[in-house]
Amino acid sequence: MTTPMLEIRDLTVRIEEREILKGVNLVVPKGEVHAIMGRNGSGKSTLSYVLAGKEDYEVTGGEVLLDGVNILELEPSERATAGLFLAFQYPIEIPGVATMTFLKAALNAKRKANGEAEMSTPDFMKAVKEAGKALHIDSDMLKRALNVGFSGGEKKRAEILQMALLKPKMCILDETDSGLDIDALKVVSEGVNALRSPDRSMLVITHYQRLLNHIVPDVVHVFSDGRVVESGGKELALELEAKGYAGFDEAAA
Amino acid sequence: MHVPVRLGPAELKLIDQLTAAGAVAEAERLSGAGLPTRRVEAYHYTDLKQLLRTVPELAAAATEASVPALRVAGAYQLMIANGVVQETGTAPAGVIVGKAAGGVLSTRDDVVTRLNMALTKECLTLDLDGSVDPVIQIDRRTEGAAGHSTSAAKIFVADDSSAVIVETYAGSEQAHLGNHATYLALGKNAKVTHITVNLAAAKATHFASNEYHLAEGAQLRTLIINAGAALSRTQLFPRYEGAGAHADITGLNLVSEGQHADITMDALHAVPHTSSKPLFKSIARGRSKAVVQGRLVVARDAQKTDAKLMSQGLMLSDEAEILCKPELEIYADDVVCGHGSTCGQLDEDSLFYLTSRGIAKADAETMLVRAFLAELVDPIEDEALNEALTAVIEGWLAGK
Ligand SMILES: Nc1ncnc2c1ncn2[C@@H]1O[C@H](COP(=O)(O)OP(=O)(O)OP(=O)(O)O)[C@@H](O)[C@H]1O
Ligand SMILES: [Mg+2]
Repeated sequence: MTTPMLEIRDLTVRIEEREILKGVNLVVPKGEVHAIMGRNGSGKSTLSYVLAGKEDYEVTGGEVLLDGVNILELEPSERATAGLFLAFQYPIEIPGVATMTFLKAALNAKRKANGEAEMSTPDFMKAVKEAGKALHIDSDMLKRALNVGFSGGEKKRAEILQMALLKPKMCILDETDSGLDIDALKVVSEGVNALRSPDRSMLVITHYQRLLNHIVPDVVHVFSDGRVVESGGKELALELEAKGYAGFDEAAA
Repeated sequence: MHVPVRLGPAELKLIDQLTAAGAVAEAERLSGAGLPTRRVEAYHYTDLKQLLRTVPELAAAATEASVPALRVAGAYQLMIANGVVQETGTAPAGVIVGKAAGGVLSTRDDVVTRLNMALTKECLTLDLDGSVDPVIQIDRRTEGAAGHSTSAAKIFVADDSSAVIVETYAGSEQAHLGNHATYLALGKNAKVTHITVNLAAAKATHFASNEYHLAEGAQLRTLIINAGAALSRTQLFPRYEGAGAHADITGLNLVSEGQHADITMDALHAVPHTSSKPLFKSIARGRSKAVVQGRLVVARDAQKTDAKLMSQGLMLSDEAEILCKPELEIYADDVVCGHGSTCGQLDEDSLFYLTSRGIAKADAETMLVRAFLAELVDPIEDEALNEALTAVIEGWLAGK
């Protein structure tokens, strides 16, 4: 069996003495797209933050392997340069940091970690322009400070732009569809689909079956009270839509 | 009952120096009151009696010049070394350079300015008319062995004229005491940018006092940077004296291990329809202290004054201290005045966001510090000047 892209084993996580993740088990093989659905507060964003290495969380048990490497001891920047990418549910606004400066720093950090030379400014501009065009991102937006004054939908598109530029091998998309209008949803989904490849995996967190019509998952996981309670094919999302989460709570109990 | 103040060695030395300079009344005043302690409101966080332990001999005339700490490319250069106004080359169009006897700040009841006034023998005078093209740099320095030097400049900017003036304070690497004064008067609709950069030696004490007079419609922007000296205090005295006068008074304390830097502003909105936006920032690392005091006085007649004072601090270590004290004294009833202050560490969520994209933590921190400062440096339009100031800040960030 080949090494999965992401393997989460019995992950338990606490925040301020409260257990939020209660033994998450999840395997995303290479090249696959998995979806996570689950009710508000069930711990989906917590899982995504813990994977990306946010400090506030106390990992009390379990393992997370990225392409066979345990990443729990790595700094967030090291996880990123190792190929992990989190598209935030709520991207952070950073006044005073120009979007282009940020994109260039991120891109070059990754290249440096891979032993590659820095990208020249013209090549960089070209790469951003191309990626931006595909996502219908207006170049004026990129002249502003990072995420500052971006609309909800613009922020989500900017996240996918970063993903397209950084070419991570494991993408986690935390509710990238929320706040998008119907057209933007299509554009963003196309952007995500364009990045699907045999050596890139994705974990798509969403509340809506609608997104999964655009980004068709290989596997759907139902998340409840800090763990995965059910996994199945894409039809599971439809079942969930019909029955609601209540039908799955027993499995959690 | 009158209890005489116990005088320390610094005060005794200053009294000697004042007496020798013939400033008998000042010497007596200092003997009676001593240096200000924390009980004096204006010196609450910068207790001079505690902090100023020794005063070096009055600096003799400079015989050598150290490498300039900062030189703005293309600027017209003027120099005051150890209090002596140096000869200069041909002045650019619209600039008349001269010299006058004595100091320049005669109106303040403040020990630092009084000392400057009493001890300064000559001042540089500048008369600016029209849109003065090159940046004017006044390079003030204290050279040679540790010395007490005072200097002064008096600058008049004519009606409808514009200029960019940079003052730098540096010199040899000795425990100097520098006390510098600037009187800057803006005529009607004059537009001036005044930048001061304290790059005094690591063991030095640096005092600077700037008094600004703004006539009708005058527009002033300042950027006061305290980066050098063990102990520094820069005092700003803007006076809004004509309708439509406006100033963006900005300042920056950059303090590292062992440093104490203070920016104290005492502003007077004297007439109706004037406005100001003082914005002060401090970054402190190691065991250090940054102080910002801002006082806004709005005279009884000064209706429609619009003044918003802001102070922001960024602490890069647990032992750093940033102290802010705003004070509003408003005698008019139809004004919009306010103040705000924030102080904290780098935002964790922002740091996480940047590092989650692969940017190393130290680089992400530098990006956020630069972002914090962008608001102060970005408005400086002159490219060479902007670069020079950026270099000062980058040098500090790199730990120099
Ligand atoms: N910093 C924090 N401090 C305290 N509790 C927290 C913190 N972050 C998350 N929680 C709690 O952890 C639980 C899980 O939150 P999380 O954001 O992971 O849920 P979610 O599944 O992403 O929800 P949603 O669908 O609304 O985005 C919630 O009860 C939340 O209140
Ligand atoms: Mg969430």
